[in-house]
Amino acid sequence: MTRAGRSTRIVDARLHLLSRQVLDDHGEPVAVVDDLELVAPDASQSPAPGSPARIGAVLCGPSLVTRLFGGRPPASRRARIEWDDVERLGTTLELRVRADSLDVGWAERWVRDRMIGRIPGGQHDPEASS
Amino acid sequence: MKRILGAALGILTAIGGFVDIGDLVTNAVVGSRFGLSLVWVVLLGVVGICLFANMSGRVAAVSGRATFEVIRERLGPRAAGANLVASFAINLLTLTAEVGGIALALHLVSSVEPRLWIPVAALAVWLVLWRTKFQIMENVAGLLGLLLIGFAVALFLLGPDWGELVRQVTQPSVPQSESPAVYWFYAIALFGAAMTPYEVFFFSSGAVEEGWKAKDLAQNRVNVLVGFPLGGLLSVAIAATAAVVLLPAGIEVSSLSQIVLPVAAAGGTLLLAAVIIGIFAATFGAALETSLSSGYTLAQFFGWSWGKFRRPARAARFHLTLIVSLVVAVAVLMTSVDPIAVTEMSVVFSAVALPLTYVPILVVANDPEYMGRHVNGRVMNALGGVYLVVIVVAALAAIPLMIATGAGS
Repeated sequence: MTRAGRSTRIVDARLHLLSRQVLDDHGEPVAVVDDLELVAPDASQSPAPGSPARIGAVLCGPSLVTRLFGGRPPASRRARIEWDDVERLGTTLELRVRADSLDVGWAERWVRDRMIGRIPGGQHDPEASS
Repeated sequence: MKRILGAALGILTAIGGFVDIGDLVTNAVVGSRFGLSLVWVVLLGVVGICLFANMSGRVAAVSGRATFEVIRERLGPRAAGANLVASFAINLLTLTAEVGGIALALHLVSSVEPRLWIPVAALAVWLVLWRTKFQIMENVAGLLGLLLIGFAVALFLLGPDWGELVRQVTQPSVPQSESPAVYWFYAIALFGAAMTPYEVFFFSSGAVEEGWKAKDLAQNRVNVLVGFPLGGLLSVAIAATAAVVLLPAGIEVSSLSQIVLPVAAAGGTLLLAAVIIGIFAATFGAALETSLSSGYTLAQFFGWSWGKFRRPARAARFHLTLIVSLVVAVAVLMTSVDPIAVTEMSVVFSAVALPLTYVPILVVANDPEYMGRHVNGRVMNALGGVYLVVIVVAALAAIPLMIATGAGS
């Protein structure tokens, strides 16, 4: 679960990964790690119980429902963040990409473009001096 | 010089921001029925809120993580989801009470029907949330809230029998006209009013909004440890004016005009005007804090972008939550439900919800992964442990006592 060239660290997925906040490369919150997609180390194989696996993607959004009530979402409905986009894992999961470039950001963008962005002052920077 | 001014400002806003509609109503009701025999609860509540505000502020400053992110991470989706539903609902109830409080304060000065003021008040709250800088919003509401000192001034002008008041504080007993169950019911209500969970959500998220770092912790501690106890004194002053004027006259508080009656009797129009502005500022400030808290809790649970420091479009779902919460609060109030009754409900349910907020904070404040060398010390943990017991007992006893006493009637 560590990247090449970094020191190895044992991470308990349930304790240190699930339900952690996901931030984009500017530190803007994107989602929470709702579930993980495990794949076989070799992309040509399908994952099987008992065999080694690696994290393919972080799942968000709809996966929360199946975490709460059980079951498994169909692959087409999964909101995924590729594990290759992950930069660092601390008390948060930091990505190396912008939130706007991710598919999982669609709900935020929808509310922004259809509602909040259209109200006058929606683009106003509250920390600006004027 | 700038640092001293900044420190003074922080303390003053902490004092003025301490009292909200829950403190105002509950203290006046308790004063008018039990005199000062429940002041020990205010003291207990103030020490508790100091302890946990300090702890949640420290967690936020050191780890950069606000309270509900911590709750979600520690409790997992199921337990945190249940916690979210309860916390969000109670916070919404508090927000409704605060917006109602603004309308009642405006009603007092204008004699225009409160229901006409409710949408105006909510719109004003939203405009501030939409446009104003976080720190300006905090400072203005906190400083104007200081006008509630008018209650203390009124107490001195009334010239009460101080020996008798001190005796009520130091030797608390249940008045003959009241049953012990009702006494304990109001003890829990007062505790819930002093320690409302939204204050912790707001305090920790506010620390992230203002970009606190570990070096700001000393200032934070001073604000909390000086400001909140002095704010607690304002609460006691409210109870004391009610105890001096309303208790002997046999008036039970059921409206805002009765709460300010002692002030009008003692200090005349000018003092009354000051206190009403104070009430307006206190409820307005608390309405801002509770609506923000509704956004904070929801956004932090789901991992949405949040914060007033961002452009509204960069925290779209967060701002949508603020709008929807305010609309719901207005809709509830427009059914002509009595805001004072909503307030009394909200403080009791706040007491019920306290463990949901405080337990995760206590756990994470001890986690070195988050806190590094800033983990709780022994004294902190001992106090935290004692308060944990008090909070759990109050939470468990609240509903049975409410049913047994018919909500204190």
